[in-house]
Amino acid sequence: MIAKRKTKSRPRIGSGTAPILSFEGVVKRYGPLEALAGVSFQVHRGEVVCLIGPSGSGKSTLLRCANALETIDGGRVVLEGVEVHDRRTDARKLRRRMGMVFQNFELFPHLTVLRNVAVGPTTVLGMPQRQAAERATELLRKVGLADKAAHYPASLSGGQQQRVAIARALAMQPDVMLFDEPTSALDPETIGEVLSVMKRLADEGMTMVVVTHEMDFAKRVGNWIVVFDHGKVVEQGPPQQVFDEPTVQRTRDFLSHLGWHGESLAAADLLVQPSSTDP
Amino acid sequence: MTLDWSVVWDNRWRLIAGAEMTVILTATTMALALPGGLLLALLRLSHVHLVRSSTTGFVEFFRATPLILQIYWIFYVLPAAFDIRLSEFVTALLGLSLNVSSFNSETFRAGILSIRPGQWNAALALGMTKPQVLRKIILPQATLRVLPALASTWVSLFKDTSLVSIIAVADLSYVSLKIRSETYRVLEVLTAMGALYCLMGYPQAKLVDWMHRRFKVVE
Repeated sequence: MIAKRKTKSRPRIGSGTAPILSFEGVVKRYGPLEALAGVSFQVHRGEVVCLIGPSGSGKSTLLRCANALETIDGGRVVLEGVEVHDRRTDARKLRRRMGMVFQNFELFPHLTVLRNVAVGPTTVLGMPQRQAAERATELLRKVGLADKAAHYPASLSGGQQQRVAIARALAMQPDVMLFDEPTSALDPETIGEVLSVMKRLADEGMTMVVVTHEMDFAKRVGNWIVVFDHGKVVEQGPPQQVFDEPTVQRTRDFLSHLGWHGESLAAADLLVQPSSTDP
Repeated sequence: MTLDWSVVWDNRWRLIAGAEMTVILTATTMALALPGGLLLALLRLSHVHLVRSSTTGFVEFFRATPLILQIYWIFYVLPAAFDIRLSEFVTALLGLSLNVSSFNSETFRAGILSIRPGQWNAALALGMTKPQVLRKIILPQATLRVLPALASTWVSLFKDTSLVSIIAVADLSYVSLKIRSETYRVLEVLTAMGALYCLMGYPQAKLVDWMHRRFKVVE
C-alpha cells in the first residue's frame, strides 16, 4: 500500500481584513421553497472558498445570486463595498469582475474555441479583435489548449471544454472566479485535468468560490470550507476542522454519506498526476 | 381531342414575364418577412404584457385566416374604410409579407426558445447586455436551427404567390389563366403552367431537403 500522503491545508488568508465578497443573511425563495434561508460567509482576496453539501442544498443557487443572475429575497451580497442586488448597482459592471464557470460548460457552440474566449473582451470591453485574440491565445496556452484554438467546442472532450470555459471567464480578468460544480458533468478521466488547472489558478492567488463534490480538492486547495444543508450554512471553517473534526452532526452525516474517511488516495492522486494540460 | 401546343410557344414571353413576377414577389416578400418575422418574435418575447399580447393577437389573426381573405381585405377594405389606395403589386406584397411574417415569427420564436437558458447565463455572466446576448449568442444559433423551417416557408410562399392573381397581379398564375381564357386551350396552358411551377419549385424543394440534412442540430 502507498503511504498516506500528508497534506497541510492552506491557512486562511486575510481574515481580519475587509472581505472582497461577502454574503450577509442571503434569502432566496422559489414559491414556498426557501432555497437559501439566511446564508452568511465571507471571501477574502486570494482565498479559495469551497461550498460543499448535498445536492439541492442551495450551493449553486448562492453562486448565481453572487453575480446577480438570480434576484434575492433578503439579506445582501457585497462585492468590495458595492451591494450586488441594489437597484442602483449596474449588475453588468459587477459581472465583469466575477468570472463564472458552469457545470455544463455552456461554451458558445457557433463560435470557435478562440472566439469563445475572445467574445467577452470584444463585446463587453470593446477590445479590438486582434488584441482580444492575443489575450485568448495566451489564456488557451495557460489551460493547455492553444492547439485547439480553431476548433469548435463540439469537437472537444468535456474536460477540454471546461478548460476553455475557464479561459473564457479569465479573459475578462475578473477579481473573483465562481465555479459551479465544474467537474460534475465530466468523465472521471478528465476531472483531473480541470482540477489541476483550477489548482494552478489558486496557486497564482486567484480568489475562488467553488461549489464542488470533490472533497480532496476542497481539502487540499480550499482555505475555507462552507457546508450547506437545506439552504443553510451548517458549519464553516478551515478544511482541517470541517473534514477531520467536524463539529456538527450534519457535516459528519454528509461526509460519511460520500464515503469520506480522511483522504481517499485514488482521487487525491488525480491532483498531483502530471496532466495533459501541461504543454 | 387534338392538342395544339403552339399556344404555349406563341405566348412564351408572357409566361416568362409571369414567372419573373412570381419570383420577384417571392423574393421581395421573404426579404420583408424575415426581418418582419424576427421583429414580431422579439415583440412576443417582450416583458411588457401589452406588447406581448397585442403581438400575439396580430400573429394569430394572420395565421388563423386564409391568405386569400387577407389579400381581398387589403385590396377592398383599406381603400373603402381608410381611404388608403395601394397598387395591386403593393397590395399583394403587403398581404403576403404580413402573412409570411406571422409564420416566420413563430419559427424564430421557437428557435430562440430552443436555445437553453444556460447560454443566456453564460453570456450575461461575461457582462453582456441582453441585446448583446441576443445578437451575438442566441440569434446566430437560433437562426441556424430554424433555417430549414424558413426554407420550407419559402417554398410554400413561392406557390402561395399564385393567390395574388385574384387582384390582377400579373404573376405566372394570372398570365396563364388569362391565356387560357383567351385561347380556350385549357389543357395545354394549364400543363405548361404546372410545368413551369414545377421547374422552378423542384430545385427549391431539393435545396430545403439539403438544408435539413446540412443544418441538423448537433449538441
